[in-house]
Amino acid sequence: MNWKGIFLAFAAALMVPSGASADTIKVGIVGPFAGPFALAGKNFKLGIDAYRALNGEKVGGKIDVEFIYRDTGGPNPAKAKALAQELIVKDKVDYLGGVYFTPNAMAIAPLLEPSKTALVVFNAATSAITQRSPYIVRTSFTMWQNTVPMAKVASAMGLKKIITTVTDYGPGIDAEKAFKKTFESLGGSVPESIRMPVKTTDFSPIMQRIRDSGADAVFAFLPSGPPTLAYTKSFIDNGLRDQGIKLLTTGDVTHEPDLPALGERALGIRSTYHYSLAHESPENEKFLAKVKEIAGTLDEVNMCAVGAFDGMHVIYKMIEATDGKRDPDKAIAAAKSLDWKSPRGPVRIDPQTRHIRQNIYLREVAKKNGKLINKEIQIFADQPDSGLAPTQ
Amino acid sequence: MTSASIADSVKEKKTTALSSDLIGTLAIAVLGGAAYVVFPDDLGLLTRILAAAFFVLSLCLVTGICGIATLGHAVMYGAGAYAAGYFCVQGLTDPIALIVVGAMAGAVMGAVSGAIILRTSGLPQLVLSIALVQLMHAAANKASSITGGSDGLIGISPAPVLGLFAFDFYGRTAYLFGLVLLVCVFAVLQRLVRSPFGLLCRGIMQDRVRVAAMGVSVYPVLIRMYTISGAVAGIGGALIAIATGVVGLDSVSFAWSAEALVMLVLGGASSLYGALIGTVVFMTFEHFVSAASPFHWLAIVGALLIAVVLFLPKGLQSFPARFLVKLRGGRRDHSS
Amino acid sequence: MQTAFGIALDALAYGMVLFIISIGLSVMLGLMRVVNLAHGAFAMVGGYFASYVTGQLGFGYGVAIAIAVVMSIVVLFPLEVLLYRRIYAASELTQVLMTIGITFVVIGLMNYAFGPTMKMIAVPDLISGPVDLGIRSVPAHRLFVIVCGVVIASGLWFMMEKTTFGIKLRATVDNPAMAAALGVRTEWIYASTFALAVALGAFGGVVGAEILPIEPYYALRYMVTFLVVVSIGGAGSILGALVASLGLGLIDTVGKYFIPNLGEFFFYFAVVIIVLVFPKGLLGRAHA
Repeated sequence: MNWKGIFLAFAAALMVPSGASADTIKVGIVGPFAGPFALAGKNFKLGIDAYRALNGEKVGGKIDVEFIYRDTGGPNPAKAKALAQELIVKDKVDYLGGVYFTPNAMAIAPLLEPSKTALVVFNAATSAITQRSPYIVRTSFTMWQNTVPMAKVASAMGLKKIITTVTDYGPGIDAEKAFKKTFESLGGSVPESIRMPVKTTDFSPIMQRIRDSGADAVFAFLPSGPPTLAYTKSFIDNGLRDQGIKLLTTGDVTHEPDLPALGERALGIRSTYHYSLAHESPENEKFLAKVKEIAGTLDEVNMCAVGAFDGMHVIYKMIEATDGKRDPDKAIAAAKSLDWKSPRGPVRIDPQTRHIRQNIYLREVAKKNGKLINKEIQIFADQPDSGLAPTQ
Repeated sequence: MTSASIADSVKEKKTTALSSDLIGTLAIAVLGGAAYVVFPDDLGLLTRILAAAFFVLSLCLVTGICGIATLGHAVMYGAGAYAAGYFCVQGLTDPIALIVVGAMAGAVMGAVSGAIILRTSGLPQLVLSIALVQLMHAAANKASSITGGSDGLIGISPAPVLGLFAFDFYGRTAYLFGLVLLVCVFAVLQRLVRSPFGLLCRGIMQDRVRVAAMGVSVYPVLIRMYTISGAVAGIGGALIAIATGVVGLDSVSFAWSAEALVMLVLGGASSLYGALIGTVVFMTFEHFVSAASPFHWLAIVGALLIAVVLFLPKGLQSFPARFLVKLRGGRRDHSS
Repeated sequence: MQTAFGIALDALAYGMVLFIISIGLSVMLGLMRVVNLAHGAFAMVGGYFASYVTGQLGFGYGVAIAIAVVMSIVVLFPLEVLLYRRIYAASELTQVLMTIGITFVVIGLMNYAFGPTMKMIAVPDLISGPVDLGIRSVPAHRLFVIVCGVVIASGLWFMMEKTTFGIKLRATVDNPAMAAALGVRTEWIYASTFALAVALGAFGGVVGAEILPIEPYYALRYMVTFLVVVSIGGAGSILGALVASLGLGLIDTVGKYFIPNLGEFFFYFAVVIIVLVFPKGLLGRAHA
């Protein structure tokens, strides 16, 4: 017991982060930098690098910011928590950022209050995350935020009967609920909701099912990557498009790095999302020019880069507001009143949920200068995250 | 080994086993304690290593001792993790009780999956084990009202250990709690492996037909070992659930099963020490290399695996074992 | 009726894709007794070559297939000499580890060389898009795959049963020592079988890419599926692999159509039952 006491005192003296002002602020970034989701990690880093290149390596010209990257691989809460713990305790970071997967965010959340560390989530998109700790701010999107406008679009298009097909996991179920609830409240009907197994490779039976349901349109959500490609090909090659069935999706299905693989057949697919690389604004132009300069190409850029870019904006503002001192309460208070022009359009942090409010765009896959893009054709301004109330 | 040599080693073990077991267990306790003092900032990683150690030890019992090839061992680990997590969320917050719950869930899952897997051998066995882990993964994803699905089972906040030591965000309590458990379990497993039952299992691995000819009914023996192995894996799962506070689908994944196999073989499949060495080396290596060069990490692990298979077929543990054998005057190698 | 036809057709097409990619694995497992978890990596390497040849070099689909197959053999054959030769007689566990290791290395290299995004293999207009069969329209590419599957299956059958190589090969499998004593160069037989397995894998990877898109994790993502097909079919049996592929295709398709919400569950449950009932595979050889 005595030994333990001595040790604890010793350890406490060493580890408890000091509140003194520092010339260097450390930021720990947790994300998938290796493995099947490495594309997301790569984009985190791109967003961060682009922000620093455009806004200076030092906050307010005087406070240095140092970054420490840690790889979580896939969804692995135990590993994510251990890494966050290490970043806080050993590397003594002042802020945490990143986080691609919901369970990883959930595992990190309980560490934030006792260690007085603020976390800016760059991606993980389940609504409830920001409620797990008052020290979490999020600059990405939620499935509800992105899906609700699509249901409105469907209704405005005069569609009456829509079948939903989503991948059978957390985000997919969120998307299904959001679409169904909104579309039905607007007078439409969703006669059938199919949840497709995560490992589905052959979507033909699903297509047959859609055809047999007699629906006017199908709403689809799948995580970007091989499944979206196989789904879209299956949709077109099985003749559903020729039959006049509309395909409505979130932007995950027409994720920019996947577009070349989808090819011309993707032309005309409509999706709603918070960011398109083809967004026309001076901010986006500046952002993409810098990203291109850093990465050499825009072929691997997706919304994670913008999530990180805006996350950096929040972190910089928090550092400014606290003048480099570790004061998460003050930092979060400052973050709550932020609004700024992001590459994706005007955004602000909702003081109630600490989640980003932003425009959601209806886009259509089109061809510009021989390249497939998501062309924005309609704006849903200042969308909140409507996912909290229904999931509680 | 022939049956004569087994009898031989039994005699030999009677004299030296107890003391060497004691030394081994003590060594683990001392090394574990030293790690706590020397790396106080890495307790998160160290706790993950402990949980993995239970898992790999458990795999050692069936793969190293009984010769069963499985790529689906995470069903038991995941069962322990989810059971402990679920009971904790429901209000049973005592950590020791949760470990017991995890062990029991793991044992039940071990008995069930063992009963299925052990009906075959070779490739079909491998495929069955994979199918089972995928089945459980799909089930855990589906039963999201209980497991939280892909978002993870959240809200696990265990009470202080023995009502005294609360779980802190440095992970001190979690690590020490895990270490004490590991030392206890390891001591028991050592006895188990040396017991007539353990030797019988080794015998089955070496020559199943012969053991059967001796009048032993092989299937129930293996199921018993599988159940014990399940309990050990379940403890590891419960430990990580308690330490992390979230249980994700990764705990019942094919990938985690495969990783455990890699760790086991890296250390040396036939020995409990090998299992521990493999776990510690692999997890530490992963931690540093994946941080230093995430993109090449997988290729490096792959190359390492190939190298082990080619140059160290008995795993890393064969280094010190060979060395010890020489020290003792070149006595015949009897890996334990 | 129309639905039943649709399901049957989907099942046939999907089953054929499974067959084309898995048959190489089956050949290797049956003849060399190697549990080759790197087979998916072979298919992936083929896919990458084809993607490079159609995308960067601008060649047609047919040329791409040929180059992909040849280049895969050239690139991967050294593995036979350096690594596989040493594990032909080893235990399953050793083989699993070595081949997982090879898979990891290939994934790491591909990820490094080509980046983490999906790769496209341009398909000619003739076999893309829907074809109207009167009752319903089906993807033209699926029909192409079905034809490929039939050609491969009959070609392999012919080779095994009717050619000298096939006879020597079967002799080597049944009794390597005796075959060697009779003047069969078993090493050569093993090497050429390896090359054949690589070729089949690469071909399958390219042709199946419309359904299983090429990306760095291809090798791990579908590994289990291929293994299941081969195990159920029975190692080394061409007919077995064909039956297993079509059967699993049917189970998967029916499950997804009628109970999509339980699709994955249903599939693996079926696999467990089938393996328990036919532990040697549907048409496995008696030995092993």
